[in-house]
Amino acid sequence: MDDLLANSAGELFTRACPPEVARAIRHGGSAAALWDAIEESGFLDALVPEAAGGAGLRPIDTLPVLLAAGRFAAPVPVGETMLVRAAFAAARQAAPEGPVALAQPVAADAAWRARAAWARQSRRVLVPRGEAALLLPRPALPGTDYVNDTAATMTWEQPEPEAALEGGTDWLVAGAWAELCRMAGAMDRILEDTIRYAGERVQFGRPIAGFQAVQQQLSVLTEEVFAGRMAAQLASLPSAGEASLDPLRVAAGKARIGEAAIRVAAIAHGVLGAMGITEEVPLHLMTEQLHRGRLAFGSEAYWHGVLGRACLDGPAVTSLGFVQERLAPAEA
Amino acid sequence: MIGNLPLAIIPPEAEALRAEVREFLREALPDLPPDRRARSWMGFDADFSRRLAARGWVGLTLRKEYGGAALGPFARYVIVEELLAAGAPVSAHWIGDRQSGPLIQRFGNEAQRQFHLPRISRGESFFCIGMSEPNTGSDLASVTTRAVRDGDGWRLNGRKIWTTNAHHSHYMIALVRSSGVPADRHKGLSQFIVDLSLPGVKVTPIRDLAGDAHFNEVVFEEVRLPADALVGEEGAGWAQVTAELAYERSGPERVLSSAVLLDTWIDWLRTEGPRTPASEALLGRLLAHLATLRAMSIAVTSRLVAGESPITEAALVKDLGTEFEQLIPTAIADALGAEPDRVPPDGLLRTLAYSQAMAPSYSLRGGTREILRGMIARGMGLR
Ligand SMILES: Cc1cc2nc3c(=O)[nH]c(=O)nc-3n(C[C@H](O)[C@H](O)[C@H](O)COP(=O)(O)OP(=O)(O)OC[C@H]3O[C@@H](n4cnc5c(N)ncnc54)[C@H](O)[C@@H]3O)c2cc1C
Repeated sequence: MDDLLANSAGELFTRACPPEVARAIRHGGSAAALWDAIEESGFLDALVPEAAGGAGLRPIDTLPVLLAAGRFAAPVPVGETMLVRAAFAAARQAAPEGPVALAQPVAADAAWRARAAWARQSRRVLVPRGEAALLLPRPALPGTDYVNDTAATMTWEQPEPEAALEGGTDWLVAGAWAELCRMAGAMDRILEDTIRYAGERVQFGRPIAGFQAVQQQLSVLTEEVFAGRMAAQLASLPSAGEASLDPLRVAAGKARIGEAAIRVAAIAHGVLGAMGITEEVPLHLMTEQLHRGRLAFGSEAYWHGVLGRACLDGPAVTSLGFVQERLAPAEA
Repeated sequence: MIGNLPLAIIPPEAEALRAEVREFLREALPDLPPDRRARSWMGFDADFSRRLAARGWVGLTLRKEYGGAALGPFARYVIVEELLAAGAPVSAHWIGDRQSGPLIQRFGNEAQRQFHLPRISRGESFFCIGMSEPNTGSDLASVTTRAVRDGDGWRLNGRKIWTTNAHHSHYMIALVRSSGVPADRHKGLSQFIVDLSLPGVKVTPIRDLAGDAHFNEVVFEEVRLPADALVGEEGAGWAQVTAELAYERSGPERVLSSAVLLDTWIDWLRTEGPRTPASEALLGRLLAHLATLRAMSIAVTSRLVAGESPITEAALVKDLGTEFEQLIPTAIADALGAEPDRVPPDGLLRTLAYSQAMAPSYSLRGGTREILRGMIARGMGLR
């Protein structure tokens, strides 16, 4: 099942989202063709119950799809749209069409301003505000801005929601999960690309992979990527006996991947020399996802606090007891 | 290149042991202050080991016919994890249970198994490991301690160092050269079970910075070994040692060495310690690491259970795990110092001082950080 999904997701993005496509969209080009291909694959309804016409999968089952989106730096809100569709199905409402960007939750009395990843590529934005989440048309965005485009700030003068969801989903948790899965996928790709480059690039008469200093860096990179992938798997598991995402697992996963991201981005860019900051080499497309991902839906500092308080306010168990009871997988 | 480590779980029958172990520890664990419990698998208490043995929990993976508990790696995982988290003084039987016993069961002959394994399982016979020498550390193949054939037995000369528990142990499994010269490297090495009460064996404890004596120098001068001291095949020592080391890299003992310190700090925060946002966040950070590492360690164990040999993955877990173990004292020191007007309890400060001082050894014992990273690089096809 896992492999099947991973293969078809890999095949989809290989075909529909090679680096030149990701780059063109990032530079303001249309994402319509890419989106149509994703839509056709059926992945976007993966989390929607079968009774409502979806695939009825659990978040952990869909992880391969989100990893693949991250691997290919697909500049569209895949995970976000999946989550939004599932929430609409749960509320027995018709889901909005097309890509839906997910804004970071704001307080009920906050200004009508929000940031959302991949907003430019989306016709609609779901804005969690207070207890509700409102579906708003995406306002016009000025010009193109390569570097900031992946997390545009939007302002609504007179918001006219197309639909509203009342309660039900913790959108900060949901958004954090979508981001962390994408980040884990991006890290996988970074590892592969960096190892390959180190084997090809010759200095001082031999591949740089032959230098012990480089090898040790690449080993640390490997460790962090493996840790990140494990954290993503843990974060995708529901709490015992439930179907939805577990806030504490997502907290641990988002925080651990955020830490990994810092080391991964630094080592990969170091090994590639300055190549990664050129437009031509896709490494920056991957590390951009890491940096944006850390910032979005709570960084390490935020989720660390959530986790620490949960432990201190909970039953007086040891650190191992807490991890074993609250964060470890109950079933694989 | 190594592939993904899929999520694995501890099977329910192994998990079921956890409550039993906790129950046993509630009753049997000596009342030790946290800085003693922080000795973790360096804490020696022969009586405790015998009580554990009487409960059936020494010789965990040894077969029933040899007095062992015949438990699988996951059952062992749960038991060891609970012992370490509680700071139980396990060092007396630790090496016999974890390394020497399984090695004798796998490579020893029937007479060696029947003699040694029941004694290990009863907590009567303690073992130590003689690999390192004054001039042999990471480059283990360079050992110069020598066994020469002498009649139908062997004559042993040389010097081992860093030998944990030699002064408390009955036997050492020593890696020595039995033929050829050091330049032959991996060829001509053998493992011997050396009875440490034999004439010509001199054990000298080496004091550590905490005033404890865990490790020793062991000198062999014309020690006469019987023929059956050789374990496994003559000349196969390198392969045997490699197999032995692979098993010891990814278990809970590579994650939990600072667990007592962490829990002592948590206890303080839960009672009267300063619950600042910074200390809450630090705790969360450590828990996020622990959860991820433990899941990785369990995933590697499931590979071992499946009969695979995940050497690279185990090295990866050990390197990350020891880094985590070393982060704990550093970060907790910072947290305590962040509130200069608060006086942490003495036990917490003593535990911190001990863990902080010993932490450098976590990434040296069992293969140094640089050596492990070299192994990972090999696993990734870089060398
Ligand atoms: C608490 C503790 C208990 C121990 N118990 C035992 C025991 O019971 N039995 C036993 O046999 N041994 C034991 N050891 C010894 C341990 O296995 C060795 O310390 C370890 O193998 C490293 O060897 P070394 O100390 O000689 O360091 P060295 O090998 O001399 O290394 C020194 C430094 O150089 C680096 N280095 C070495 N070679 C390379 C290389 N090729 N590339 C890059 N860097 C390199 C190392 O990473 C390290 O940082 C114990 C050690 C400790 C700390």
